[in-house]
Amino acid sequence: MSAADRERTRWFLRNILPHEPALRGWLSRAAPAGVDPDDVIQESYTILAELETVDAIRHPRAYLFQVARSVIMRHVRRARIVPIHTVDDLERLEQPETAASPEQYAIDRDELRQLARAIAAMPLKTREAFVLRRVRDMPQREIAARMRISENTVETHISRGILFLIDWFGRGGNRRPQTSRTLEAEIASIDGRARNQSRH
Amino acid sequence: MAERETSRDIDQAASDWTARLDRGPLTPEGEDAFQAWLRGDPRRRGALLRARALSLMSESAQALGPGFDPVAFEAPLESRRSRFAGLSRRQALTWTGGAAAAVAVTALGVGLPAAGAVISTERGEIRLAPLKDGSTVLLNTETRIRVRYSQGERLVTLLEGEAYFSVARDEKRPFVVEVDGRRLSTAQAGFRVRKLDADPVDVLVNQGQVDVAASPTANGVALKANTQLALSGPAERPRPVGPEAVTRELAWRDGKLAFEGESLDQAAAAFARYSDTRIQIRDPALAREPVTGLFAANDPAGFSRAIARVFDAKVEQEGGDVVLTRGAPRGAGAH
Repeated sequence: MSAADRERTRWFLRNILPHEPALRGWLSRAAPAGVDPDDVIQESYTILAELETVDAIRHPRAYLFQVARSVIMRHVRRARIVPIHTVDDLERLEQPETAASPEQYAIDRDELRQLARAIAAMPLKTREAFVLRRVRDMPQREIAARMRISENTVETHISRGILFLIDWFGRGGNRRPQTSRTLEAEIASIDGRARNQSRH
Repeated sequence: MAERETSRDIDQAASDWTARLDRGPLTPEGEDAFQAWLRGDPRRRGALLRARALSLMSESAQALGPGFDPVAFEAPLESRRSRFAGLSRRQALTWTGGAAAAVAVTALGVGLPAAGAVISTERGEIRLAPLKDGSTVLLNTETRIRVRYSQGERLVTLLEGEAYFSVARDEKRPFVVEVDGRRLSTAQAGFRVRKLDADPVDVLVNQGQVDVAASPTANGVALKANTQLALSGPAERPRPVGPEAVTRELAWRDGKLAFEGESLDQAAAAFARYSDTRIQIRDPALAREPVTGLFAANDPAGFSRAIARVFDAKVEQEGGDVVLTRGAPRGAGAH
């Protein structure tokens, strides 16, 4: 990651990500039918990623909601048939709840504890790899040797760990239901495949 | 036309790329594939930003310390359900592997502190220590505690520094913090105790109730949530504090320092606890300027740059220190 990328990522982490649960809540109430809140969120983040500079953004929460609104407008204009009630919905979009809400601070204050809880809730193998990588700062190669699995499998575990955090923090501590239980078996089978391949 | 990718697929791919980049630099072909992926859909760059941000955030897990034991943070009900209830045969098979992994992860840590164990942090380090009853202690920079659990009580001595205690409820076995010969006891509470050289010991109750035992010079008192008490002897009185002030006082738990109107030299002194880099303020008027904001405790240089922008000052590096000046360029006034 370049220094500028890292700076933007850090800015995003501190100023935007804490508002995601609130944004998702607002979108699921206010977005017109057929517009998926998760699509809007990703596309809004793309706009933030591509901004030349974020220095001028004084109120990141308000800005984020404004960007999300523009994304919805774009989707609505793109759609061939605009249902009549969309217009009313767009009126409502004019007043997103941009006042600071408690979760903005709650996430900040308890972030480390939240992170510990999120890691604790990961599937066990993923958790082991993730703890070695993030708590012990061990490179993926060493983790592979230590856990006696392939480097590709370690990479998969780290990827699953990150996806787990996306769910955990994006939904204010409620991850999507299917993530945990089925993953273990899935990755175990990936590992089996990887090992078989490496033997050939 | 190909089916439109779901946001979930994109999150998965973004996590994969983030993990790939975490493993090491991309090959030229990998870089091409990565750029091609980014261009493919307007949602992807945003999803990648989020995945990277969470990956970056998870780096702060290092603050949990090598003794971190994830088992202590499992939600009890949920883990019971997902581990033991209704396992299919296939899941049961993977569970066997999982059990071995759980043991391995637990063994990674130094384990739970034994009786009389001393836990400490270096300058700039923040560390979470889980105790065997489910309570936790978060140690701030340059802090030492000793843990001695017995049948009758859960005794922790604060030898120096600052710690936040999250006490698991046990009515029969009080949790006691001993500091400078004073005893603070509770059945369940979240509270901060600070013992620094210069100041009297300071207790701040965030949640629950803490009983402060009497001493030869001071009466006993029960501290409720949002109350602060400096153990200063005959004149000591509990003071109510607002929730915002509590949040500020405890900002160090996230590796941050919060100020609201403290003078710049006070803020510089607060940073000195966390880093060997000193902030020197050469201009007395500048040193008295009030500071407000939330800053990363381990980044005195970043703080100084932010301050310089606000107060129109200049930042210079001098050896290991950061020097803040204001007004005419340094040197010009002396001639």
